[in-house]
Amino acid sequence: MNHAGPVSARRIRLLITLSVILVAVFAIRLVDFQIVRAESINATSLEKREVTRVIPAVRGDIVDANGKILATTVYRYDINAAPAIVRPVERRIDGVSQVESVESVALELARILEVDAAELLPKLIGTSHYVNLKKRVDAETHRQIVDLDIPWIFSDAHQNRLYPNGAVAGNLTGFVGTDGDALAGIERQFNACLAGVDGKESFEKGVDGIKIPASTLVIQEAKAGRNVVLTIDADLQYQAQQVLASEVTRLNADWATAVVIEVKTGRIVLAAEAPSVDPNEPGKSSPEERGARVFQYAFEPGSTMKAITAATAIETGFATVATQVRAPYALRVFDHTITDSFGHPTENWTLTGVLRFSSNTGTIKIAENIPAKTRHEFMERFGFGKPTAVGFEGETRGVLNDYRDWDGVTNFTTMFGQALSVSPVQMASAYQILANEGVRLNPVLVAGCQDSDGNLTGEPKQNSTQVVSASTANDVMHMLEKVVEQGGIGRTTAVAGYRSAGKTGTAEIKEGTGYGQYYAASFYGMAPVDNPRYAMGVMIYKPKQVWTNSMAAAAGYQKILSQVLLANRVPPSTGKSPNLPTEWK
Amino acid sequence: MKALARTRARGPLVMIVVMGFLAISLLHLLLTIATSQSVYELSDLKREKRELDTTSQILSEEVASLSSQQNLLNTASKLGMVSNSNPVFLRLDDQKVLGKPKPALGSSSQSRNLVANSSMINEAPAKQKAAPASTEQPQQLSEVAEVSTVSAIPASPTR
Repeated sequence: MNHAGPVSARRIRLLITLSVILVAVFAIRLVDFQIVRAESINATSLEKREVTRVIPAVRGDIVDANGKILATTVYRYDINAAPAIVRPVERRIDGVSQVESVESVALELARILEVDAAELLPKLIGTSHYVNLKKRVDAETHRQIVDLDIPWIFSDAHQNRLYPNGAVAGNLTGFVGTDGDALAGIERQFNACLAGVDGKESFEKGVDGIKIPASTLVIQEAKAGRNVVLTIDADLQYQAQQVLASEVTRLNADWATAVVIEVKTGRIVLAAEAPSVDPNEPGKSSPEERGARVFQYAFEPGSTMKAITAATAIETGFATVATQVRAPYALRVFDHTITDSFGHPTENWTLTGVLRFSSNTGTIKIAENIPAKTRHEFMERFGFGKPTAVGFEGETRGVLNDYRDWDGVTNFTTMFGQALSVSPVQMASAYQILANEGVRLNPVLVAGCQDSDGNLTGEPKQNSTQVVSASTANDVMHMLEKVVEQGGIGRTTAVAGYRSAGKTGTAEIKEGTGYGQYYAASFYGMAPVDNPRYAMGVMIYKPKQVWTNSMAAAAGYQKILSQVLLANRVPPSTGKSPNLPTEWK
Repeated sequence: MKALARTRARGPLVMIVVMGFLAISLLHLLLTIATSQSVYELSDLKREKRELDTTSQILSEEVASLSSQQNLLNTASKLGMVSNSNPVFLRLDDQKVLGKPKPALGSSSQSRNLVANSSMINEAPAKQKAAPASTEQPQQLSEVAEVSTVSAIPASPTR
């Protein structure tokens, strides 16, 4: 017992010493891991486990005034394979295990992907871990591929822009590129509204790819884009494009445009053209067809400008609807001879008659005493020479030179729409003023930017401007009604049951320093005259199959106007047009 | 003896602490298992949501394509319908006909779609092709057309 005490104590001391050493070693290692190398170890560890992923924001839709989708975002899938692990596929059919050869699987893939099996099979051979079999297949095809459950087939999802109505309003919506960048039209102009904000997701995952429970998860939610609401009616836009496409073919013309504006609001109901780009496949259209000529192309308007000249003459007191002139067929102006479009003896026409017969010489006689400065001012007030408030990308301002730069002849030719140019929407907007008792409303194409709750922001501010008096505007409209009632061409634009007014325009087209052999034929007007609802215009560019160019736009105008009136349930007119003499004795 | 008595007195306390520790550990383990299970369930539900989203997209695309103006015109044309550019109204209060009724004169260019749309297949489904379009027997046409609207809902041209 005497020996046991010191030995036991020694052992205990030894044990304690060893324990202390062990603890010290662990402590040193702990300090090394937890403090000295903590940062680098954490970083290395997290690097292996952490996954950071961008959550792409879904782009907003473009919709028409009735909410019909013109552009939306869908998912498309790239179908890929990993040749390095390609092998026969084992399947259980009716409880029986069957092995399907690679060739057989390839045939099935080729059928679903609608590709040539002979081209697909070689892609599956090799040591690569990635080969693309087909890009951007739709969801249905993707699902069929997934259902095949092939372990060496993978897919990547991409957002894709879809325009379910094709070329309907394609000139307005514009399009995006394959990388999702907005390239043209509303898509680009209103990208700030349509594009959302990408989100970010960061998490730690296990070997099986599933998030580790209680691992740190940092999420920045993706913010979806908002919708752009247009003022157009997609159904009417389609009808108009149909009519224009038909007319372009019938008349062997280069292209055509149509614009309809709601008189009381300035909202653009349709802004159509043909041919027009299908935004699903913009590459199939020529560069000229990928834009919006309605806003971007300026042409010499010709005789449709006479309505503006007449309004200026009446407003400034230089004429009334009954002002009498003697209009010859030809008039010598400086070194030039200006003629009417048809031969006639010197006629006794009133201002109404001058418009009814679209007389160039009569227009000169009416407006020759109005100072050029005054006429120029009124042209500006009617909206010419500057882009409209729509501000469509690349919108033209047209050409309206300073009146001090007008030479002797130009001073006269501007009275009937030569030596200046306008866009189709500018001229329709000018006729909106005449139909709206002289009050100009800014044309509106985009009603606003709409969030997911339906709240509309960015609505354009509407400014109303009295350009001419109500009586002047009504006088001009009633004179233009005679064009439709009595004019050989104007009559063909009439819609039975409705009083409508309008004016033909046949403009030469500049080629080099002179004019070419073809014309830009147009018809602009308003309806119904007793309660104007719509101002509109149709322009046919370079028609080649017509016996008279001014006739070219009339048929299309009539068809589109009738559809606009019908679709909007506009009641037929009840009153009669005022008696305005066109001739005097 | 006193030390032994103190040790015996601490026995239940130690047991309680040990049992409590074990209970907490067990609870923690169960909660961890439950959470892990929920994560897998969540993952499954998300997968299911993706599937349903895909189904929704497929159906939306189908609806959009079927309701596209081009498809509607093609279908209407096959039923023998043409647009009339002479609207006529009947005023109820005095039963007066407003406008001048004129028969619709459909031309081939009017009843054929001229506006491109590559997001749909222009080729008509087989059922639609079967719809007769004889202009010589208008009565028969309308009868057949009526039947075809019921029985031949056009298959999706979506791609």
